[in-house]
Amino acid sequence: MQNAKDTFYVTLRDRLATLNPARTMVVRGVTRPGSLVEENELTSAYQPVDAFCLRWAGLKVDARAALPLVTMECEVQYCTDGNASNGGMDRGRLLAAMDAELMAAVNQAPQNAVKEEFVTGTGSIALGTKVFWGDVVFGAAAVEGERLQRVATVTVLAYQEAGEL
Amino acid sequence: MRAADALMRGAGGRTVLLRLPVPGIPSDANEQLGLAVPEFQDVELGPVVVRAVSSGKGTRELLVSATAVSAVVGSLGSSSASVLFATAFGVLLDEVLLEVVSATELEVGGVPYVYRVTVRVPAALVV
Repeated sequence: MQNAKDTFYVTLRDRLATLNPARTMVVRGVTRPGSLVEENELTSAYQPVDAFCLRWAGLKVDARAALPLVTMECEVQYCTDGNASNGGMDRGRLLAAMDAELMAAVNQAPQNAVKEEFVTGTGSIALGTKVFWGDVVFGAAAVEGERLQRVATVTVLAYQEAGEL
Repeated sequence: MRAADALMRGAGGRTVLLRLPVPGIPSDANEQLGLAVPEFQDVELGPVVVRAVSSGKGTRELLVSATAVSAVVGSLGSSSASVLFATAFGVLLDEVLLEVVSATELEVGGVPYVYRVTVRVPAALVV
């Protein structure tokens, strides 16, 4: 399951970075592409603005087939306050731009990737099956003060290979 | 500020350690995937007065000397005390790591003399 989560995140991160290289964020003093996995960061980290924050929520395993089929729900949270120089009046446009980037990245063909196992210090090893995902489903935009935020959901599927964590 | 420091020392002021993550490694996929654990550095803050908060279970309030905070802000190159506390991983108090919930400053004439830092005890240690 962890390999599927890592593969999906890396694929989505790279696609988003290709679509909009200017969408970056600073985490612990380092500038990096504007997407992160919440559970991979320090618990003290706050949600970045104008960036995508992935949270792994639901999990279902169908063990009837030869290889168990794992279905995971990935929530993508993002928010914007607009540009201060515009008085925040462009926050709707900025949220729409993030909607479009996420939709393009997730719905872009192929909606699958070869599953990889990421190992500390040695890069990644390609595994024998793929990770698949469906179209992105957008939740309603929520307003919290000047902040406009949304949670979108993507269903990610993968086969659990023998001996895989 | 000196009067506040003297008062805190007189009220049982002690020292705590502020645990800060060191800057990340650029383009390191291991950190983004949670495979690599960042290193931390502990800096001493004192005098500090620790108070229990009646409204919150497992919550403590630290009154931290502004003298100590400004020295740390200057030496670590943080832009401000609020950034320092926002980026801190936690506060080590008697070997227990407490999460920083909020930090506000108390000031006189525009000069902060003490920082009020609210911290939370880990859920596993709350009784």
